[in-house]
Amino acid sequence: MSDHDHDHKPAPVVDEVSDFEILEVAVRELAIEKGLFTMDDHRTWTEYIHTLGPTPAARLVAKAWLDPEYKKLCIEDGVTASREVDIDWVTSPPTQFGTPSDYCNLRVLADTPTLKHVVVCTLCSCYPRPILGQSPEWYRTPNYRRRLVRWPRQVLSEFGLQVPEDVEVRVADSNQKTRYIVMPNRPEGTDGWTEDQLTEIVTRDCLIGVAVPKPGVTSNVKLPVMKAANPVPH
Amino acid sequence: MSSSTREEILRHLDAVGQLQPALHKPTQAPAPTEIDHTLYRAYTRSAHDVGGEYDVPIEYHEKEEEIWELNTFATCECLAWRGVWSAEERRRRQNVDVGQTQYLGLPYYGRWLMTAALIMVDKQYVTLSELSDKIEEVKNRHV
Repeated sequence: MSDHDHDHKPAPVVDEVSDFEILEVAVRELAIEKGLFTMDDHRTWTEYIHTLGPTPAARLVAKAWLDPEYKKLCIEDGVTASREVDIDWVTSPPTQFGTPSDYCNLRVLADTPTLKHVVVCTLCSCYPRPILGQSPEWYRTPNYRRRLVRWPRQVLSEFGLQVPEDVEVRVADSNQKTRYIVMPNRPEGTDGWTEDQLTEIVTRDCLIGVAVPKPGVTSNVKLPVMKAANPVPH
Repeated sequence: MSSSTREEILRHLDAVGQLQPALHKPTQAPAPTEIDHTLYRAYTRSAHDVGGEYDVPIEYHEKEEEIWELNTFATCECLAWRGVWSAEERRRRQNVDVGQTQYLGLPYYGRWLMTAALIMVDKQYVTLSELSDKIEEVKNRHV
């Protein structure tokens, strides 16, 4: 999200070079000097992170909407289904044995007309990074993690999603071994759409479960953006 | 950490005072008999286990990522890739061992970063002096 006209908080006032920036350089340089990993390793990882984002998960959902057999595979075996959208959880680069922190057990939670899923990680902020990219800031907050499991409807309404009373809300609590994405219901008004068109309306927020796809809506719920002092360039 | 002037010392004590956990009962290392099962369970809860705790609605935000945050993530994953720690070990250290004040008080990747520094010291890949010398050296590059 880059709504620069909608900035809520400026970057906090810190000294020109923050203590975190100094410590980060110190730790990285020491690790390289001591041979714990190489500069190449670090660059390879950074480049890998830049390749990640929500598009593969969105495409997985779009494919499943178009192909009932594939939808079945998604529900039975999310890791195998991910290969169809070029995400290999088990032997992904750069390690060739998957990412150290994401393990390889993806579950795809299919909504129905009477069931809405939403994902949290109450213990930290586990997130299906290989197929969805880096987690949003709000997903990491203790507030979201505290409240979603106890007051899911209220929290969803704060994202602008009112779930009707006759629809059950089911919260999936991620953990270090198991990661989830939500497969929302295909919305009305998308008959005859191509996979690419459908992929566009399955936003990151739809895949976490705090939004549902709508024709014409291709961006996340609009929230204030906290500015970084030295942001990662995109 | 050293403080050279009286003003610095007072500023430090003031900042630390603001971070004291809010305990709603007097606690001065109580006698063992004062800790019943309920209190014991409450004290042994780890700081990251927040699911279901009371809280009020807040405004949720997106956040731009700092370069050091991305680098920290890469460093932590490289340390795991090359066998210095496992993801489980990293989580235990950065979510539990940091304690409540740091857990709630530091930025998300701030905890990752401090944990990465500590693991290198704890596993004796670097000495504490090497770490503090390196921090000084990096600081001086920016003066």
